[in-house]
Amino acid sequence: MNQSDIPFLSVAELAGFIERKEVTPVDAVEAYLERIEDINPKLNAFITVLKEQALEEAASATADIANGRYLGPLHGIPVGIKDQIHTKGIRTTDASKLRENFVPDADATVVANLKKAGAIVLGKLNMTEFAMGDPITSAFGVTHNPWEIGRNPGTSSTGSGAATAACLCATSLGEDTGGSVRGPAANCGLAGIRPSWGRVSRFGVDGASWSFDTIGPISRTVEDCAITLEAIAGYDPNDPYTWNVPVPDYRQALTGDIRGMRVGIVKELMDPDVCGVKTEVRDSVLAAAQVLEELGANVSEVSLPLTAISGVVMRTLTSTERVSLNPDWLRNRPQEFHHNTRVAFMTGTLIPSQTYYKAQKARSLVRRQVLEAFGQFDVLIQPTNSSAPGIMDLTPGVRSKEQAAEGLKESNFRGLYSLTGNPALSVCCGFTEGEKPLPLAIQIAGRPFYESTVLKVAYAYEQAVNITGIYGHPSL
Amino acid sequence: MAELSNEDIKALGRAVDLDIQEPELTQVAYSLNAILEAMDQIDIPGLNSVEPLPIILPEDGVDK
Repeated sequence: MNQSDIPFLSVAELAGFIERKEVTPVDAVEAYLERIEDINPKLNAFITVLKEQALEEAASATADIANGRYLGPLHGIPVGIKDQIHTKGIRTTDASKLRENFVPDADATVVANLKKAGAIVLGKLNMTEFAMGDPITSAFGVTHNPWEIGRNPGTSSTGSGAATAACLCATSLGEDTGGSVRGPAANCGLAGIRPSWGRVSRFGVDGASWSFDTIGPISRTVEDCAITLEAIAGYDPNDPYTWNVPVPDYRQALTGDIRGMRVGIVKELMDPDVCGVKTEVRDSVLAAAQVLEELGANVSEVSLPLTAISGVVMRTLTSTERVSLNPDWLRNRPQEFHHNTRVAFMTGTLIPSQTYYKAQKARSLVRRQVLEAFGQFDVLIQPTNSSAPGIMDLTPGVRSKEQAAEGLKESNFRGLYSLTGNPALSVCCGFTEGEKPLPLAIQIAGRPFYESTVLKVAYAYEQAVNITGIYGHPSL
Repeated sequence: MAELSNEDIKALGRAVDLDIQEPELTQVAYSLNAILEAMDQIDIPGLNSVEPLPIILPEDGVDK
């Protein structure tokens, strides 16, 4: 195999080559490092590239595999890590000036788990400052969407989306508070799963909002998502909110057979008048539903009226929780934040406790409604976003109350499952028409801790439509 | 509910030891008023009687 072709392989494909000793981890890491050098200046997806460390680890993995110590499908696979997730001895910045010199003395559990599975960390990925949902706030510069420079790559795991789509790493980790895995996956034409809250340890991950934060993979295929998730999932005594429930073999669920499965389309998120979904997104999700039906699933509409408040409820809670983490920074070092982060944090600080409490109660009702729907359905489907990736507005500031209110409405799409804690996966379901096609995405949600079911449906859909086969990778 | 003015925002900021000046002041007012107005409009049956539960439990995924 030509070394320059390696970055375009899926994790599953590259793992096959490595296991058969047709490609070594050194080959793979060198190929990715070369591509990072060529492409990253256009995208700004990495904050830190770990060239020497990655090559050393690749040499060690190559020797282990040559000596018969093959660990499994992530052994020797180059991965990228969002810069909110601690890496021992490597700075972890949260894309903020306030953290530009912070060097953790231990790996986050998810990083330790990836390393245990044999993965090689290529570098730390750009993001929005402190994982806020605004694409322009990184102290290390804006990350671009590889499908079109200047477009939003999806927030807050901007670098995880852009690097994975541009084949600058084989798979990556993001962190999803209000949609930060699913958003970049959607905007960059990838598969990304927010696991059930409590499925994956958050130990060693800088908090955004304690009752929302989850770590999830952003990958080029659903199978790669399953491989990555399996490596990081599971109980961790260091995180009191991980649950001690077994982690299934997620790849076993990827049979392509979804006959008889019950699929609900969430009515409110498909209604332009309720949540503002654009026609091209709506049509692509309806076309995806048609594919699921042709595969033997039973598809019907389900109404979840409380979807319409999920965005504001989620934003009330996350805004309050995230500023509780480091209130002194806002008081003592406000000018070190990006303007937009400063405004968002000041806003969160002023939300009254009674409003926070009301939002937590509303959250209980939203969750009850969603869980009741899962009594009728195996999965629920809906758009991940209201529209295709937009052009980034690089001018800081909130223009009006109406603009702020629009942002709350957009949060309905991914905020729903952030609020409830259900697993939810975004997978590409088409592209816009025109000279520069842009990805569109469907979101598939399941019962708590039923990631296997979500992956199963997403995989069956992905195999049936083969979108990557049609659109390929971004040309950069 | 009444919209918060910039003076209200400044006063709230002082109560938590934050000195909020322009240009942030007006923009915080936009953001906070948007949230408070939307939250104020939420009036769901059962809201007053439900317990707030921030997290989901594994048994929530099990058929009951």
